[in-house]
Amino acid sequence: MRGRSWLLRTAVLAYVGALIALPLYFVFQRMLAHGFGAFARALGDHEMDSALWLTVRVALLAVPLNVIFGVGVSLWIVRHPSSLSRLIDTLVDLPLAVSPIVIGLSLELAYAQNGWLGRPLASWGLHLMFNYWAIVMASIYVSIPLVSRQVIPLLREVGTHQEQTAQTLGAGSVRIFFTVTMRSLTWATAYGVTLTLARVIGEYGAVLIVSGNVAYVTETLTLNIGNNFDNFSPDQGFVGAGLLALSSIFVLLVLGLARHRERLRHEYRP
Amino acid sequence: MSIVLNNITKHYGADLVLDDVSDEIPSGSLTALLGPSGSGKSTLLRIIAGLEPHDGGQVHLHGRDVTTVAARQRNIGFCFQDYAPFNQMSVFDNVAYGLKVRRVPAAQRRREVDDLLGLVRLSEFSDRYPRQLSGGQRQRMALARALAIKPDVLLLDEPFAALDAQVGAEMRVWVKSLQRELGITTILVTHNQSEAMEVADRLVILHRGRIEQVGPPEQVYDKPATDFVHGFLGPLTTWMGTSYRPHDLQLCDDGDGLSARVVDVVRLGFEVRVVVEREGATTWVQLTHHEARQFNPVVGSLVSISAR
Repeated sequence: MRGRSWLLRTAVLAYVGALIALPLYFVFQRMLAHGFGAFARALGDHEMDSALWLTVRVALLAVPLNVIFGVGVSLWIVRHPSSLSRLIDTLVDLPLAVSPIVIGLSLELAYAQNGWLGRPLASWGLHLMFNYWAIVMASIYVSIPLVSRQVIPLLREVGTHQEQTAQTLGAGSVRIFFTVTMRSLTWATAYGVTLTLARVIGEYGAVLIVSGNVAYVTETLTLNIGNNFDNFSPDQGFVGAGLLALSSIFVLLVLGLARHRERLRHEYRP
Repeated sequence: MSIVLNNITKHYGADLVLDDVSDEIPSGSLTALLGPSGSGKSTLLRIIAGLEPHDGGQVHLHGRDVTTVAARQRNIGFCFQDYAPFNQMSVFDNVAYGLKVRRVPAAQRRREVDDLLGLVRLSEFSDRYPRQLSGGQRQRMALARALAIKPDVLLLDEPFAALDAQVGAEMRVWVKSLQRELGITTILVTHNQSEAMEVADRLVILHRGRIEQVGPPEQVYDKPATDFVHGFLGPLTTWMGTSYRPHDLQLCDDGDGLSARVVDVVRLGFEVRVVVEREGATTWVQLTHHEARQFNPVVGSLVSISAR
């Protein structure tokens, strides 16, 4: 068995190394290829900074909306099962299976000014394509299942006894939601937020289609990276790519440390 | 604080789970709702707590009709079989929860929680989290949490089922003495006959949603009102066409009983189970170790059996 565990370990390390660690290393290497001075200058690139700021603004709206939706839909699916909620349960997973480019195209068909929904909305003065709102919509769409997939299994496992106990102790439903339900779901939700955040700031295909990709207006950080490669400035592109990778690693690290501290307080001490 | 149940009826879909259940639970008593699984006993407990809606009948707590009162306003202490600890809160915060809801000032809250933790012998565990406790400690925490709101009644759903045998036995003795000390009207649900008879001063036997018999444990055991109660409260065996408890039969000298052939002898600690056969029917005789030694039944030999 000892020999086999050695084999397994080597296989996993080689797999992760070849697919994730090594390529990521080269991104950081290229990011700093011309030294720290050049890197600092590239960080000050106005177009990239504008794109970064747009990505932040999109995440600030899309992530909270998806957390609220994700927790809400999870409660509905687990606590009030019906044929409709089971249908929603399946439907919510759809964005994981559908290619982002199809998501982008379907949103454009529906919401562009001559689209089925876009036309009446436009007559109300609401334009939802090729602007900030379009990017938010696409970001929400691609990341919709990421919170509920974390929350639903935990919600099933936790059950309703804690909440019913809180009821008998006199607590109202709002208090129970925040002091009992959400406290059980904190870590599942936090992990869902991390995945959603990573997905939202990293989305390319769907956003490329619905945004219009206009510099300083609808160009997100991922689009900016792509545009830099298309415009023969790969060095600037690698700085953007490195930033994106660093932010993801940072978010995962913070979550991992917090989880570790949380786990310590739940270890059984006889 | 008495609990009065008037004609409680409950369906799950087409299934009738409680069929016209009425009872009056005297103030200060420790009543066991005893029945096999599916008898409706846990459902009845949840209806008393207001955690489950029912179809017909009323629940009165101390003369107050609480049928339409929400669980949170019934002032009931409820403990689930799994104790439902708030895992994200310390033991202290678990016990303090109901007091916080009731806006008890912090200083008084601390005093009351400390007293309760002393009562359930968890004082030194106040900063721990539920997952760091053993099963028995978790149960005591859940009891303290339920008692913190000074409930009018205490409802316990299968309180000892999740504990291993030894801890369960200790907790039974402890819960019984705690209930006596506090004098709080208590209902506990159990499927375990010996547990009910050990802890409760009053049994309510439920079977298929109906009450079969109500009374003190000795009375219900000695004078079962129905065949179901007779069979449920202890093992039965048949001897010459009549039902007996196995310990109500004995081995005797040859002239005093009817003979039977020994089929099996099983030693269970202090007790000895002798299985005999007569005219094709098998019978189980329960003896003490001493009694068995007196007659020394051996598989294949003939013994004489009589009723005590």
